[in-house]
Amino acid sequence: AVIGRAGAMAAAVMAVVPGGGDFSDLREIKKQLLSVAERSRERGLQHSGKWAAELAFALEPLPLSELPPPPVLTEEDARDLDAYTLAKSYFDLKEYDRAAYFLRGCKSQKAYFLYMYSRYLSGEKKKDDETVDSLGPLEKGQVKNEALRELRVELSKKHKAQELDGFGLYLYGVVLRKLDLVKEAIDVFVEAAHVLPLHWGAWLELCNLITDKETLKFLSLPDTWMKEFFLAHIYTELQLIEEALQKYQSLIDAGFSKSTYIISQIAVAYHNIRDIDKALSIFNELRKQDPYRIENMDTFSNLLYVRSMKPELSYLAHNLCEIDKYRVETCCVIGNYYSLRSQHEKAALYFQRALKLNPRYLGAWTLMGHEYMEMKNTSAAIQAYRHAIEVNKRDYRAWYGLGQTYEILKMPFYCLYYYRRAHQLRPNDSRMLVALGECYEKLNQLVEAKKCYWRAYAVGDVEKMALVKLAKLHEQLNESEQAAQCYIKYIQDIYSCGEVVEHLEVSTAFRYLAQYYFKCKLWDEASACAQKCCAFNDTREEGKALLRQILQLRNQGETSSTDVAAPFFLPASLSANNTPTRRVSPLNLSSVTP
Amino acid sequence: MASVHESLYFNPMLTNGVVHANVFGVRDWVTPHKMALLVLLSELGRAGAQLGLLERRRLNRLLLPLLQGPDMALSRLRKAIEECCPHLAGSVHIRLKLMAEGELKDMEQFFDDLSDSFSGTEPEVHKTSVVGLFLRHMILAYNKLSFSQVYKLYTALQQYFQKDEKKNGADENEMELTNPEELDGKMEKEELDGPLREEEIACSGPLSQKQAEYFLSQQASLLKNDETKALAPASLQKELNNLLKFNPDFAEAHYLSYLNSLRVQDVFSSTHSLLHYFDRLILTGAESKSNGDEGYGRSLRYAALNLAALHCRFGHYQQAELALQEAIRIAQESNDHVCLQHCLSWLYILEQKIFDSCVLLEHSVNKSLHFGLPYLASLGIQSLVQQRAFAGKAANKLMDALKDSDLLHWKHSLSELIDISIAQKTAIWRLYGRSTMALQQAQTLLSMNSLEAVNVGVQQNNTESFAVVLCHLAELHAEQGYFAAASEILKHLKERFPPNSQHAQLWMLFDQKIQFERAMNDGRYHVADSLVAGITALNSIEGVYRKAIVLKAQNQMSEAHKLLQKLLIHCQKIKNTEMVISVLLSIAELYWRSSCHTIALPVLLQALALAREYSLQYLASETVLNLAFSQLILGIPEQALNILHMAIEPILAHGAVLDKGCAMFLVAKCQVASAASYTPQKKIEALESAILNLNEAKTYFAKVDCKEQLRDVLYFQARLFHTLGKTQERNKCAMLFRQLHQELPAHGVPLINAFK
Repeated sequence: AVIGRAGAMAAAVMAVVPGGGDFSDLREIKKQLLSVAERSRERGLQHSGKWAAELAFALEPLPLSELPPPPVLTEEDARDLDAYTLAKSYFDLKEYDRAAYFLRGCKSQKAYFLYMYSRYLSGEKKKDDETVDSLGPLEKGQVKNEALRELRVELSKKHKAQELDGFGLYLYGVVLRKLDLVKEAIDVFVEAAHVLPLHWGAWLELCNLITDKETLKFLSLPDTWMKEFFLAHIYTELQLIEEALQKYQSLIDAGFSKSTYIISQIAVAYHNIRDIDKALSIFNELRKQDPYRIENMDTFSNLLYVRSMKPELSYLAHNLCEIDKYRVETCCVIGNYYSLRSQHEKAALYFQRALKLNPRYLGAWTLMGHEYMEMKNTSAAIQAYRHAIEVNKRDYRAWYGLGQTYEILKMPFYCLYYYRRAHQLRPNDSRMLVALGECYEKLNQLVEAKKCYWRAYAVGDVEKMALVKLAKLHEQLNESEQAAQCYIKYIQDIYSCGEVVEHLEVSTAFRYLAQYYFKCKLWDEASACAQKCCAFNDTREEGKALLRQILQLRNQGETSSTDVAAPFFLPASLSANNTPTRRVSPLNLSSVTP
Repeated sequence: MASVHESLYFNPMLTNGVVHANVFGVRDWVTPHKMALLVLLSELGRAGAQLGLLERRRLNRLLLPLLQGPDMALSRLRKAIEECCPHLAGSVHIRLKLMAEGELKDMEQFFDDLSDSFSGTEPEVHKTSVVGLFLRHMILAYNKLSFSQVYKLYTALQQYFQKDEKKNGADENEMELTNPEELDGKMEKEELDGPLREEEIACSGPLSQKQAEYFLSQQASLLKNDETKALAPASLQKELNNLLKFNPDFAEAHYLSYLNSLRVQDVFSSTHSLLHYFDRLILTGAESKSNGDEGYGRSLRYAALNLAALHCRFGHYQQAELALQEAIRIAQESNDHVCLQHCLSWLYILEQKIFDSCVLLEHSVNKSLHFGLPYLASLGIQSLVQQRAFAGKAANKLMDALKDSDLLHWKHSLSELIDISIAQKTAIWRLYGRSTMALQQAQTLLSMNSLEAVNVGVQQNNTESFAVVLCHLAELHAEQGYFAAASEILKHLKERFPPNSQHAQLWMLFDQKIQFERAMNDGRYHVADSLVAGITALNSIEGVYRKAIVLKAQNQMSEAHKLLQKLLIHCQKIKNTEMVISVLLSIAELYWRSSCHTIALPVLLQALALAREYSLQYLASETVLNLAFSQLILGIPEQALNILHMAIEPILAHGAVLDKGCAMFLVAKCQVASAASYTPQKKIEALESAILNLNEAKTYFAKVDCKEQLRDVLYFQARLFHTLGKTQERNKCAMLFRQLHQELPAHGVPLINAFK
């Protein structure tokens, strides 16, 4: 009878959940969210409950008549009600063993789940406690949740008999994942998502287990509106930011515009593609809507740090500290704050505190590495970065940091490996490419260096330095045409993005171009560039001198022979370099200048 | 021939060939196994005088490995004790049982009593003895435990004991018939446990720091000395991963994983492990001093150097050079002369791939001696000798140099280098064409007692020197026609150096060369042709040469000529004199096969001059044979006989059987040719001696199973008998000839015109 009901229930849930991408009936969705929030809470799954409640909050309130009815109690539920009520209160007080003791023998789904879940949590808690006093250094990593194996045996029995509901499947999946049985865990989570698509926890676990796009493609996921949230989330995780942003936008369009969850996710996505301004404005908006939010604030502080916005960061740090100073995110924000104030010891201290609060919080390891780098403590930095890599092999910042460390130690060949790893993880990030190029340049491998710089430019250079470096390389190799091309592109880039940020190399570019046109006897362009040179302090004198020369030569040329004009010179495109490029004729230059 | 330079890796666990364990982890932890040992010790003390002398001695011998070794199951421990003294094993078991089935206070009491063994006027255990130290370590470690840790230890002890009991119980149960109901329940349980079991095994060995170090150093030394005895690459990697999972800070494990990846030629993961190791090493070094001589600056330098070694090992010479430059630069900046010397040696190895760099090497040897690095110095000397040998320097000087460096080795007991030196001598003797000397040296190495055997108990026998020597031995045997012995040696090589190991390519090449020679002797050219591809893969020059030989044998003269000319130019460029002479000989053969003996002569003279210059005696004699043959055809057999006398001696002394046969055959031919002008009496004498020589040639050819040559000899002999009027012998030879002739296809070259 039990099997039948579980199946029927699953069928019922399936029936009411609208299909993928179908957000027409928001009221229905809200109803579902409210009910699943309630059900999650009954089972002690606070995070899933929170997520559902947050999302429900973003939708219009329901009239009384449409509120979801309280869940129907079955005979079994009624029988277990007393034990459940008692155990739930123990559970809430984190007395897991006590809760499990009173729930033993309960048959109803809810009580059974709570029974198993409290056993699981008790094991986890004991594991954490025991890491503190183990019997030896090698035993440290070996402390494991003793309850896991028993739980697995029992749950797999139930699973075979198909007696598990969505929550039970979720717990089974978690147990499997903790036992490092990833494949089985994925299968079970997918099943859980099919049976109870509304439970966000199962989706989230799935996100953590799927590490590449291919696996994602071959999953058979339930076709519900929850899938959209899942896809958006996993796209962010897999760094497929474009797709993720599209998904989130369509979710907002469907009516979730007020959801803080979506807003924060979008902000994180923008942060990942380093669109700092957009990310900042979204975070500010988020802070307005949800001023006591601590989640994701570490990302926000990273952005503020990158922009060196000291007062804002300081405000954020103080604010968060007031809300809760013993949160990982708070420590991270404070660390960033100190780092920006160049108090690196203190910053490292706060990152360490963050790691004490949550040893699995990998961002802190990397950040700590950066702090040690600032303190010129390279060995500690290497240690921190290595830890970060241990927690997450795909942490490209740690690889990059390691590369930087070795670069500082003047080992350009050695750091190539690390930069390459970082580049593999973020193939379209120009910073790694520029770093690689610099190393190759130091090793006098100019061909490779050129390739790196060109690629850095091609994937969209954030720091705008790749082209200048490329140009200088060409200059070194006496490839003046290509060098000029690069400088032209560089100048175009600088002015087209409209930033008035003072770039040191602009003057160099103009100076080179002026000389180049001068050599090619293109007087107009040469004088235009020379005039530009005069706008900068370091090249002013040279510019003026060149202008005078041009004037002189022009006068001579006009008097002597007008018919033998200098051949109109179009620099050869860089295609000789096997690099696709739009050819820019030097005449366009004036239009580029502001 | 031997490029015996690979052992230059900076290995943190091996300096000058000696394995050192890491010493930073002195801290010890109490485990159930150690408690069992403590019980054993206290029982030992209690038993005291009752034990017989023999039992006591056996136990004492057992104790040390137990104290140092990894934890083992109780049953194994009991068995080990039982073998020494069954009585004691029983009492240990009873004590443990009492403790495990009793209460926590029993264990506490036990530890309280332990320290008593030190007290008294005449203590049972001396405080600073091995046992005493162990006891004190344990007592200290136990006293440091917190309350919950003590309790955990006790439960661990109970489990340790119960596991053993259960196992015993299971053994007994198997004998009985259990009732079906119970069986059912058991089955189900096992079914459920099934998939878990594997991971259980993987996590089985919680090694303590010391045990892990022991494991690592043991495996490292096995990898170095006798790879086949070490764990298989896959399982070793599994163990290492396991170890690293529990203690990611264990840097040495990364290094071992690097060595392990090298075994399977995995460039990716070996780079990964190597860099990881040095990242970790930098951490441990950082605590002592910063950037100084001993601090992590040192490991940085060696990190770069090792990276160079890695790239060199995988043949990425350009990368290796970049890494090496980096290492040199950092070493120079911090005035680390020792590191610089290592770099210099490596630089030589790299440069060697490009051009001769004797100067570099001489410099390296001088400096190494100056800085007291005997290992590096002798390696340098050996490389120098090798190079000089190729360059044709006087043999006595080279041998002198080797003898001097040998003195150095014995003085510092560098057994590895002694092996290399002998291997090198074998190779050099072979190069000079003195097969008996080579044979003697090879046997010396193989039957020598290694120094290591005395020191560690590990026979050093999968180093490159052994591979080289064994390969030479195989070839020498094959040359003498002992093919069974040769294949036996190759089989042994295959076992000792499995196909994926570092030195396996050596025997692969030799194996194919021997097979090739056999196929050529038998006239199975298609088989030889199919072997060429394999040889080319391992050694391109050798491969091209063999290809040309096959073409020549198949009478595709112009192709063969083209190929040989190309090869000649290439070999002259890279100064591979040995090959140059061989190629010249083949070219000359092509000429005389096409009956252009006059053109062949200068080529042969050139070859002879070269061979004499580089004192490659064997090649010189072979050239002389060719020369004599040409002279014979050109109609001056007396002259030919004259110069043959020069060559015949070394060939008979050191030559391959085939060459001996050819030489004798040629002598006979010359004798017959020159007899034409003799008086009848003298002529008969000459012919008879020619017949004797032919007989000798026949036995040689029969040994290597060269049917074609045999046929020619028989034909020739038959003619001679005919001339002498010995009909019976003539008929016998003719019959044998006919038998062979029917077996073999006739080839295009007239019988008299070929001597090979």
